[in-house]
Amino acid sequence: MTPDPIFRWYPIAVKPLRALTLVILTATGIAAAAAQSAPPAQASPERELLSRVRRLTLEGRRAGEGYWSADGRRLVFQSEREPGNPFYQIYTLTLATGETMRVSPGYGKTTCAFIHPTTGDVLFASTHHDPRSRELQKEELDFRASGKERRYSWDYDPEMELYVHNAKTGALTRLTNAQGYDAEGSYSPDGRWIVFSSTRQAYGRTLTPAERKQLETDPSFFGEIYIMRSDGTELRRLTTVNGYDGGPFFSPDGTRIVWRRFDEQGLIADVFTMKLDGTDVRQLTSFGAMSWAPYIHPSGRYLLFASNKLGFENFEVFMVDIDGRKEPIRVTYSDGFDGLPVPSPDGQQLAWTSSRGGGREGQIFLAQWNHDKALALLAAAPERKR
Amino acid sequence: MMCRRTMVAPLCAASALTYALLAAGSLDASPQAGNAASPDGSRTRARVERLASEAFGGREAGSDGERLAAAFIADELARIGARPLPGRRDMFVPFEFTAGSRDGKTAIVITSASGPAAGRRFDNQQVDALSFSESAKDISGPAVFAGYGIVVPESQTFGYDSYAGLDVKDKIVVLLRYFPEDADPAAKAILVRYSDLRYKAQAARQRGARGVVVITGPRSPNAGRTVPLGSDTAAAGSAISAVSVTGDVANLLFTGTRSLDEVQKELDSGNPHVAGFALPLTISLTTDVILEKGTARNVVAYLPATPSASGVAKPWVVVGAHYDHLGRGTHGNSLAGGNEVGRAHPGADDNASGTAAVLGIADALAKQPRRRNVVLALWSAEEIGLVGSAKFIAQPPVPVPDIAAYLNYDMVGRMQDNKLTIQATGTSPAWASLLERANVAAGFDVVLQEDPYQPTDVASFNLAGVPSLSFTTGAHVDYHKPSDTADKIAYDDLDRIAALGATIVERLLAQDQPPAFVKVEQSSQTAGRTGIRVFTGTIPDYASTAKGLLLSGVIGGGPAEQAGLTKGDVLIEIAGQSITNIYDYTYALELLKVGTPVKVVYMRGSERRETMMTPGARR
Repeated sequence: MTPDPIFRWYPIAVKPLRALTLVILTATGIAAAAAQSAPPAQASPERELLSRVRRLTLEGRRAGEGYWSADGRRLVFQSEREPGNPFYQIYTLTLATGETMRVSPGYGKTTCAFIHPTTGDVLFASTHHDPRSRELQKEELDFRASGKERRYSWDYDPEMELYVHNAKTGALTRLTNAQGYDAEGSYSPDGRWIVFSSTRQAYGRTLTPAERKQLETDPSFFGEIYIMRSDGTELRRLTTVNGYDGGPFFSPDGTRIVWRRFDEQGLIADVFTMKLDGTDVRQLTSFGAMSWAPYIHPSGRYLLFASNKLGFENFEVFMVDIDGRKEPIRVTYSDGFDGLPVPSPDGQQLAWTSSRGGGREGQIFLAQWNHDKALALLAAAPERKR
Repeated sequence: MMCRRTMVAPLCAASALTYALLAAGSLDASPQAGNAASPDGSRTRARVERLASEAFGGREAGSDGERLAAAFIADELARIGARPLPGRRDMFVPFEFTAGSRDGKTAIVITSASGPAAGRRFDNQQVDALSFSESAKDISGPAVFAGYGIVVPESQTFGYDSYAGLDVKDKIVVLLRYFPEDADPAAKAILVRYSDLRYKAQAARQRGARGVVVITGPRSPNAGRTVPLGSDTAAAGSAISAVSVTGDVANLLFTGTRSLDEVQKELDSGNPHVAGFALPLTISLTTDVILEKGTARNVVAYLPATPSASGVAKPWVVVGAHYDHLGRGTHGNSLAGGNEVGRAHPGADDNASGTAAVLGIADALAKQPRRRNVVLALWSAEEIGLVGSAKFIAQPPVPVPDIAAYLNYDMVGRMQDNKLTIQATGTSPAWASLLERANVAAGFDVVLQEDPYQPTDVASFNLAGVPSLSFTTGAHVDYHKPSDTADKIAYDDLDRIAALGATIVERLLAQDQPPAFVKVEQSSQTAGRTGIRVFTGTIPDYASTAKGLLLSGVIGGGPAEQAGLTKGDVLIEIAGQSITNIYDYTYALELLKVGTPVKVVYMRGSERRETMMTPGARR
């Protein structure tokens, strides 16, 4: 459950050859004939696994990180749709009625929500306790109004803390209280545990000059996986490897954690699983690309993830068997961004975030998922190249 | 769905609307039936089949078939329980419209002191009034040649003025059609924008000219031919007499001076600022443009609020679709080819489908309590310029400020891959939220387009300040052809679209606050020709010197590939524009519309072939 590497990496995400061609032709005034680089969207191969594709979110500049409630009746997601706030807020969507409800405070930044499997409480990260919240909103709005374009970058705001929204009372309870980015949390299937990602290890100690420079340029480098009880007690750190460890989720049987680990440069990521005590680490992907946002299918037999293996800006959803023995199989066929795949609790639907609706920004899409076909394709896949 | 009028004539027919479906780009054949089963007793199929039947003859505005279709629709509305608007006895609202223009007794008389041109008179065989010409008798004056008659505004920082140093006051201006054929590409790209004949005629009139004679130079496409009147019914007059003449007449005009061929060559290849010059003769023009008037009828009814809408803000919601189509395609906008020419155009998708959607929405709403009145409006004369909906706005039966919202349906019967395009969403900030909620249950792969300046009736309501939405499933290979038949309609999906519409109207009826209107600025994209907007997926071979456009490849899944084009093909014509080089191609692309199929003629080896290609949107 990482916030948008796609956006984070846009500054350097350029296909050099194509961009060069365009520049030359624009200069000679015949850009048009050549500006045929805009590729067509959505070829049919993805119909093997995904049918009745539909766009779920329409409101706001963008939306993403859609996760199901355990009963499959609701989705929680983040969206930039709050008037006056250019940052994400957290909403739940009731599928039977189409009604949405904001569960975050409305101001500040939030990200990465998850619904408690039994109480329906909503876990998310927020900065709203930061007294500068409204000021930062205005700064961002003014910046956008200025017409300048900063390619969006996720700032790993050290003010991010985990909160839980009580489904009955609407009250917010703060679960973490440490300097550093605490976010990307999710519950165990029994609701007793939370795994999340945090950069807290980079704060409250003396950093080496190299570390300080690293913290300034890319704080995500310090991201590690932590586990705690759902009331915030019994905190334990599970990973100790340099580079951004994030986006952790429990396996459907609650015995393992799946997450993604970036290399030190923050360019290559792969999907891993481990036991709840941090042992028995297994690497499941090896594309040499940015493979991230893993989520295990409720059958427990395979997981879905996103990778830009096919082009720096072209993220597609892939799937791989739960042990990573076989070569991953491509699921989506659409230019731009397809990622953050999350199967429904019954395993029959897939929610994911895609830019296929037009533009660069993502929205949440939904489709019927062909589980039997997925199993057949996985069974027929060759051994994974390592 | 009408064709856009801002285009040069040959393209007009090909330039209707429909867009984002290209996002889908996919014409992949298996239209995915929605899961939602056809509601019991849905009359959608029966309605579409009836409207598209031979008996209605293509429902051309003003025709007997249109009248029969209107009667059928009124019967259906009555059966649903809708009533004539307050104060009216029936649901028919007739209006007069201009069906087209034709040439009457246009003539040109050339007088000169001597030579073969002296006293010669030519009539319909060799001269045609331009469709926007004033009708007038014996407009005469000394002839002056003004080159291509192009004036580029100073703001373009590109000097080109065919009238520089030329006095045309009270004279008859002779000018060339199109633009300098051999100008360098950058220049051509600018000149083309100011070479529209209306624009040229206006430039002449502003300089005091009495009349304009257009000749198509020997070095230009359509050399020596007159400009057809076509069906340009957006024919606000140009306040000047303007004709086109054949090459024979043109040559006579140049007797006693250098030959036309020589003059054009100089204009084309040399200094573009070749001065115009007086021709040693006097021209007298008689122009006679006959506008063909017809009477069409909107069918308008309503479902009254229950119990009454008194005290409700903006107590009216309008749901509409045009029901007219192209008849037998004799008035221009048909894309029929080969043995299809002259056959009835059933218009099952365009727009029996939209008509059926409106009736389906009415079916659903009739059974429910309503806090506002719902107008059900089926427009005629849409295909010739949104005339029916414009008449409604011009003479509104209910005050326009009392209309909370307008929903429009145009071509909603060819759903592919679950994609539904909703246009004009920029007209209110309320739409995205309302549509999101309504679509969660409906489950369409919705594509939103903010732009309300669409070639369909939604444009009329947007201009009147009414928050609007327009629904479409996009264009297809049968667009504006006799092959747009009822058997190709995706009826289950059409019922789903009507169900979504009913849900949206229900929400609008229930809201205390009607949606706020926001004026969307007309983008340059819809305002005029300002660059290429389309994606065709062709990869031109820039190094080729072959005549035509050699493809070094096509992008997988793109419009060109779907049209069957492949590496090595040489494009020679697109949308009626001949292509001899990449600059022609660039120009042709500039005039294409996203989502509108166009004919492409190409050479594969030595074989000449044709196909239809649907350009996508360039991102």
